[in-house]
This record gives sequence, structure tokens and C-alpha cells, in this order.
Amino acid sequence: MSDVLQSLFVLGSSHHQAPLEVRERFALTQNEANALQKQLHANGCIRECLIVNTCNRIEIYGLATTADIESDIRNELCAAHGMSRELFDAHSFWHTNLDVLQHALEVSTGLDSQMVGETDILGQMKGAYATARELGCTGTVLNRLFEKSFQAAKAARSQTAITRGQISIGNVAVDLASRIFGKLSSSRVLLLGSGDVAEKTAQALQSRGVADITVSSRTYENAHALASQLGGAAIDFSDYEQQLSRFDIIICSTSAPGTILNAQNLKPALKQQPERPCFLIDLAMPRDISSDVEKLDSVYLYNLDDLSAIANENLEQRRAEIENARSILKRHAWTLWLQLRRREMQPQKV
Amino acid sequence: MLQEIAMTDRTAFGIGAAIYLMAFILGGIMLLFKKRYPRAAMFALLTGGFLMQTLGLNLRGAEIKACPLGNGFEIAQFIAWSLVLLYFIVGPIFRLRLLGFFAAGLTTLLAGGTWLVPAWDKPYPPGIFGGNPWIELHAALAIFSYGVFAIVALVSTMFLIQQHGLKKKQFSGVYAYLPSVQQLDLMAKRLMITGGTVLTAALIFGAVFWINNPDLVPLFKLGVTCFIWGGYLTVVILRIQKKLVTRRHAIAAIVLFLLAIASLWPVQSARHSELDTPPSVESLSK
Repeated sequence: MSDVLQSLFVLGSSHHQAPLEVRERFALTQNEANALQKQLHANGCIRECLIVNTCNRIEIYGLATTADIESDIRNELCAAHGMSRELFDAHSFWHTNLDVLQHALEVSTGLDSQMVGETDILGQMKGAYATARELGCTGTVLNRLFEKSFQAAKAARSQTAITRGQISIGNVAVDLASRIFGKLSSSRVLLLGSGDVAEKTAQALQSRGVADITVSSRTYENAHALASQLGGAAIDFSDYEQQLSRFDIIICSTSAPGTILNAQNLKPALKQQPERPCFLIDLAMPRDISSDVEKLDSVYLYNLDDLSAIANENLEQRRAEIENARSILKRHAWTLWLQLRRREMQPQKV
Repeated sequence: MLQEIAMTDRTAFGIGAAIYLMAFILGGIMLLFKKRYPRAAMFALLTGGFLMQTLGLNLRGAEIKACPLGNGFEIAQFIAWSLVLLYFIVGPIFRLRLLGFFAAGLTTLLAGGTWLVPAWDKPYPPGIFGGNPWIELHAALAIFSYGVFAIVALVSTMFLIQQHGLKKKQFSGVYAYLPSVQQLDLMAKRLMITGGTVLTAALIFGAVFWINNPDLVPLFKLGVTCFIWGGYLTVVILRIQKKLVTRRHAIAAIVLFLLAIASLWPVQSARHSELDTPPSVESLSK
């Protein structure tokens, strides 16, 4: 009875074991992952099998018929990849029994993620589970394990601050914009310059439903291309100063050697909209916005360092919650383990 | 039915204030320990406090057979009651986070503070409003407008705190729960206009009474009331003209409310000193 659960395993590699260049070599396409999953399941020694394949991890969850299966699975995975067994062994992990449950629960919750507490992983786990079920590779044990891991993830997230606070520059900017404007549906965004971080920040704002995004850059073609991508409009760089009063959020990321916005050229725009706050995000290096604008009443200026400091502070707060979340997950893992054992002990209906 | 309640009005006021204090402490603890803000519990506690205060005002009203606005204690209770009533209207509609916590703090101060000083609950002769329903309406509206101005002051305080957090790049604790600066500013503007309108209506009713009975209105009270009304009217006009906005508007709202509350004490003293003065032979002979 319990021997069956003794054969529950997870073999994998993630950012904890492997650096980026090694993870690149381990990466599988979705079709390759599905093929490997079917191949493993067809192997007579594996009763159930599920592969979680994301940009940061490849993990094979399985229930074997014998306990001594690790070497076979490693060989099969390396053969499928065409990579050396030594390299994989040096950058991978193998868990069995209760550790598998704890690991699955921690991955679902985002405790094992590079960005602690990120929520994308739960969707990826759900996707992997749905695929494996569809392919008929899972059974009662893995079905229960994954369904319970989703519930445990939800519980750990709601009972701790593991997902509280944004940890990317774009989302931190969106959070700040919400603290200034509330709903962003009437906020208009001006993007000055077309830097990568600025583009991501504009995308984050767009995903929260800002009214519109306008791009202005020294090279009009660049501005036009980015505006098309963001579904907005482009304006000539020589015109932006006259149009400042139209915008609530201004993101600067030009490569200008000096500042392009200061209290003097911002004041006329503020006079036209005295009740509207103005959120300035300076992502340029050297800075595009003079710090004297901070003295203006309704102006809120944040530069790259400010946003990074908030993101890091939030990440630290999340890390401080890891042990709380882990202890919640331990209780869930233990309960699940007992349930699975009880289920295995029950005589099977014929 | 009210006679069947085995509770004095002061006990009901006291319990109400204690419940408000509990709400304030609960909110404070949750914010201090960075826990999830207990919105439902705050709402339930404020409802409990409000019901006890309503009971207290009803018992007092039944006893004096008039709207209980005859001394500083009753006025403070009525302002606190109006403030919570407005919180029930404004809070859920505009989803102003933490307003319940701030409202609990101010009502504890007003309702609890005056309850702790029995001297403020000075007895006064029945029929203080002379049985004139218009002057009762004037008093009730004026005090209700003070409730509106109290909530404007709270919203303005929240605005200043949130703005300070944004300017100084502070994010955790209370800052994380406060509504956006724009939402708070807009709310302060709307409530300021509402309060100004209610106070103006109250003064119109009062003016009708004053024109007919100029001797019954102390000049000091009239002067202070007009000063406060003038202050609010100026702020409302400047706000509509967009000349007094955001931070300066918030500061003006808080200062005016403090002045309005501070003015109640000399006004009450003036009225009580008049009530304490024995009537002249001339007036008795009339």
C-alpha cells in the first residue's frame, strides 16, 4: 500500500539549480513536453505522469510502480533532449514522498518562483494539469495532488502577504497611478522617448485601461511604431510641450543629455488643469525631469531609483512571508498525504 | 415604546461612544500590524455605535420634547451622529477606504470626549426653542451641516496624509489603504458644496426667525455664525472657481472645521449666561 506512495516523485530543474544558459538547454517546446509525457506514461513502470514546463523550470511529477526508477527517468529525459546526463545531474533535483507534495504546493503558491509570490505560475500549473489529464497521463493520486495544491496556494495567498505589493517597475508605476488617480479609465498617458522600460510601463498602464497613450520621440518613425504597437497616437517631439496639459501621466525615457521638463515649463499646463494631479515617471538616465517640479502642489515625481526601491521593498516583504506561507503549506501537504494514504489503503472496487 | 427601555440617555450615549472607540482601536491595531483592513467589522461596529447614539438622542428628545440641541454635549452628540450617518451614505457609494476608521476616531473624540465631562451636559429649561418648529429646523440643519463639515475635514485629512505619502515616497501601513488623492479631493469638493448649501439653508430659516424676534438671538452668536458661514461660503466659491484646490482646499477645510467646533463653546456659554440671567422686570411685565 504505502509502497505505492513511496514511489511518488518529482524530477526537475529550475532557476535554483541551473543558471540561465543551462536552463536554455533544458527548455522544451509544448509539443516536445507532451510527447515526453506520453512516452513516460507508456513506460510500464510509471502509473501517472505530469510535466510542468515553463521558462524557468522543467519538472516531471510521477507515480512509479517501483521505488527504484530515478535513473531510468533521468536517462529518458536526457535522451529526449539529447543532452549529457552529467550536466543534467549537476543541475537538477529529485524529491520523493511527502517532499513531492510540499514542493508542488510551494511551486503553485509561487514560493519557489524567481519573483517570490508571482501568480503566473499557478496558471501554468493549471495548464500543465489540464494537458496531462487530457492526454490521460494522470490518475487519482496526481489529480488529487494538483487539485489540492491549487486550493492550498489560494489559502496561503489569502492568509499571508506573499503576493502583496508589486515587484516589477511597470506594475509599481500602475500602483502609484492608482494611488493618485484611483480608476485610470480617464487618465491620459504621454510617453516621451521610447526606452524599453518605458514601453513596458506604458503596457502595464494600458492593461489597467488608461484612456489613451500618446508617444513622442526625437525620431518620429520610432514614436509612430511604438504608438501603433500600443494602439495610441504619435506627436512630433517639438509639439509635446504645448500639449502637456492634455496628459495626466507623463513617462520620460529620452536620451537627452539634460532635463527636458522642469517647473517652469510644467506650470502653464498645471494652471489649465488645477484640479487634476500630474504623475511624472522619469525612467531616463541621465534624468529627463528636473527635481524642482516636486515643489509643485499636484505633481508627483518618481524616477527609476524610486520605483526600484519600492519594487525591492515589496519583494523583501514577500520574502519575509515565505516561512509563514511554508508552514501553512506544510499543514496542507500533511493532510493531503494522509488522505492519499487512506485512499490507497481502501480496497479497490472491482 | 421608548419608556419601556430600561436605559438612560447618557448610558446609551456612553455605550455608543464605547463602540466607536472599539472600532477605532480595532482599525488602529490592524493598520499598526499591517493586517487586512477589517471593513465589515468596522461597518458593523459603527452601525452599533450609531444605533446606540440614535437611541440616546431619541430618549433625550422624548424627555425634553424637542430636538436635543440645547447644550454642548447634545450638539457634539448630534454632530457625531450626523458624521456617522454621512459615512453610511458616502462610504459605500464612493468606496472611500479607511473613512470608517477616521470617522470612528472623530466620533470617539466628539461623543466620548463630551460624555466624559458631565459639566457640558448642563440642564436647560424646557422649550428652549420656544416651540417654534422653524428654529428647531434651523438648529438641526446647522448642526447637520457641521456633521458634513466634519466629514469634509476627515476626507481632507486623509487627502493630506495620502499626498504626504506620495510626495515622501511612503507606501506601507496607512498609506496603502487610503483612497487616491484625486478621489479624496473630488469628494472633499462635493461635500464642501453640500455642507455650504445645508448651512446656508439653516441660516435662511434662522434669519426668518431673527427678523421676527431680533431680541431672542444673541448678537455674539449671530456674529460668530455669520463668520463661520462667510468662511465656508468663501471656500466654496473659490473652489468652484478652481482658485482654491487640492492641498490648500484641504487645509482650509480642516482649519474652518476646527474654528466651527471651537466657536460652539463661546456661543453656548453666551446662550447659557443669558438663560442663567434672571429675567428683567420689564420683560416679565410684557
